[in-house]
Amino acid sequence: MRALDWAVLVTSLISIVAYGLYRSRGSNTVDRYLLAGKTMPWYAMALSIMATQASAITFISTTGQSYVDGMRFVQFYFGLPIAMVVISAVVVPVFHRTKVYTAYEYLEQRFDGKTRALSSVIFLMQRGLSAGLTIYAPAIVLSVILGWPERVTTSIMGAIVITYTVLGGIKAVTWSDVQQMCVIFLGLVVALVTCIVLLPHSVSLGDAVFLAGEAGRLNAVTTHFDWYDNFNIWSGLLGGTFLFLSYFGCDQSQVQRYLTGRSIAQSRLSLLFNAAAKIPMQFFILFIGAMVFVFYLFVQPPVLFQHMELARIEGTIGYQPIEQRYQHAFEDRRAAALALVEAHHAGDAASARRETADYRRAQNELDAARAEAARLVERSGGAKGFTDTNYIFLSFVTRYLPTGVVGLVIAVIFAATMSASSGEINSLATVTVVDLYKRYFRTGGSDHHYLVASRWATLFWGIYAVMFADWLGRIEALIVAVNKVGSLFYGSLLGAFVLAFGFRRVRGTAAFIGIAAGEAAILATSIFTDVSWLWYNVIGCAVVVITALAVTAAAPSGRSYPTSAKPGMQQAQ
Amino acid sequence: MPELHPIPSVPDEPPPFLRTWRRVYIAVLLYLAAIIAAFYVFTRAYR
Repeated sequence: MRALDWAVLVTSLISIVAYGLYRSRGSNTVDRYLLAGKTMPWYAMALSIMATQASAITFISTTGQSYVDGMRFVQFYFGLPIAMVVISAVVVPVFHRTKVYTAYEYLEQRFDGKTRALSSVIFLMQRGLSAGLTIYAPAIVLSVILGWPERVTTSIMGAIVITYTVLGGIKAVTWSDVQQMCVIFLGLVVALVTCIVLLPHSVSLGDAVFLAGEAGRLNAVTTHFDWYDNFNIWSGLLGGTFLFLSYFGCDQSQVQRYLTGRSIAQSRLSLLFNAAAKIPMQFFILFIGAMVFVFYLFVQPPVLFQHMELARIEGTIGYQPIEQRYQHAFEDRRAAALALVEAHHAGDAASARRETADYRRAQNELDAARAEAARLVERSGGAKGFTDTNYIFLSFVTRYLPTGVVGLVIAVIFAATMSASSGEINSLATVTVVDLYKRYFRTGGSDHHYLVASRWATLFWGIYAVMFADWLGRIEALIVAVNKVGSLFYGSLLGAFVLAFGFRRVRGTAAFIGIAAGEAAILATSIFTDVSWLWYNVIGCAVVVITALAVTAAAPSGRSYPTSAKPGMQQAQ
Repeated sequence: MPELHPIPSVPDEPPPFLRTWRRVYIAVLLYLAAIIAAFYVFTRAYR
């Protein structure tokens, strides 16, 4: 990073925080601090929803994913518009009319206190685990690429997020998210344009797209069905719908964004904007990865993009043959790519078929050499299941993008981290205060008391996230486990809300037993099968609903079964 | 002193376009179908 990059990075960060704090003036009551006094316009909520969902690792990882596996990851988002329509039609009006602070507060109105408490604790566990990872995952990549100490990176990000989230509440979070999304959009557009400009003069954008397609990098839709495959049209449409229903309908980090709307219509518009914009945005990010792939057809990429691991294996006995194999494969691929472009221009079909075969053969050879290098990393004491996908894009950025643009892309990474993290911290604090502290530990306090409690809870969760990120850094093998654990909770939460909205006869105890059974089913699926995690939500939700309906049916008619619901708390039924 | 500052009520309004929310939802789902079809054509064209 040069002086101009630092200037761009620092200016971006300062302006984001300053603007967020400026717009958050007057957050001096609990409803203003946690719900922005229900004054937010649709576009601010829309960008905040988008920013909260897109963490830094989304940008780092998605481009790398496209580089190694093509664009089929975009299918993961096919269920999102369906989920947004369902939530806009069913969930948004109910949450607004019942005047809740959290999604789980509604569960008490519909069922009982224990269902609300269980759902709140499940949320705190799930979101609390991912809060550290949101900060840590980009920090480790920045540390490897730029040589910054992980602890410094996580501390800087954490300090900035804590400052504006504690001081300004959800207004600061939302308006900062708006700024952050602007920086992210700008950074991505500049990165793509720069990448295309850096291609050889003889290769046009059309040629680049053609070459990416010939290498299988433009596989945006794959129609085969496979239970064990995360990314095909069926898992995207069905599994993705359930995942996004869970995420946008039951996860407080998202629900709180659209609860701030100044009307039901504004909240709906914010969700429907995401329904329309999210898939093209992901397509765009994946397309950047495909163009980075084409760039590296003509400029030799490193054998591994994680340069610290590469440096470690370069001195080992097995590395030289791998490097020679890799170099030959690259030269063959470059020659075949240029010949393929010429054949394509000349309209020579026979020659194009021949060159395509050579091109794909060289690509397979190159992939095989990289896989061999990854195995060498493992054999020489590196992490098991080593992959450098997350390092591809930033490695490209720091090596080849011009001064200033590098700072802008690093600002994108910071912005994405801060927007996702601030949303998490803010929602964790809200659930802690509203669903647990106010409900069970200090009922009847004043508005000012809960405002102060919310600020302290925000500070606590912010510090927790930074410390958890630091802890993850020391126990790296846990990252995979934490990521997996985080995906284990949504299905049962979604089941609880499906019961609440769709099955009027089901009451508190049946819902509680259903949630517990759903959680057990997800854990069993995770431990005893290899079914893709995208299906966990479908399985968990189905088990919750079936179990609750069975308990309801088995209960004696008339007085069904014990419930701890307070009189007058069932009005939403 | 009231326990909490009351959460303001929010109005329900018609959408700014297409007159009813039902039509807006149908439009979003048609858009999804169109985008999947476009991606499918894109994939086939560059396969």
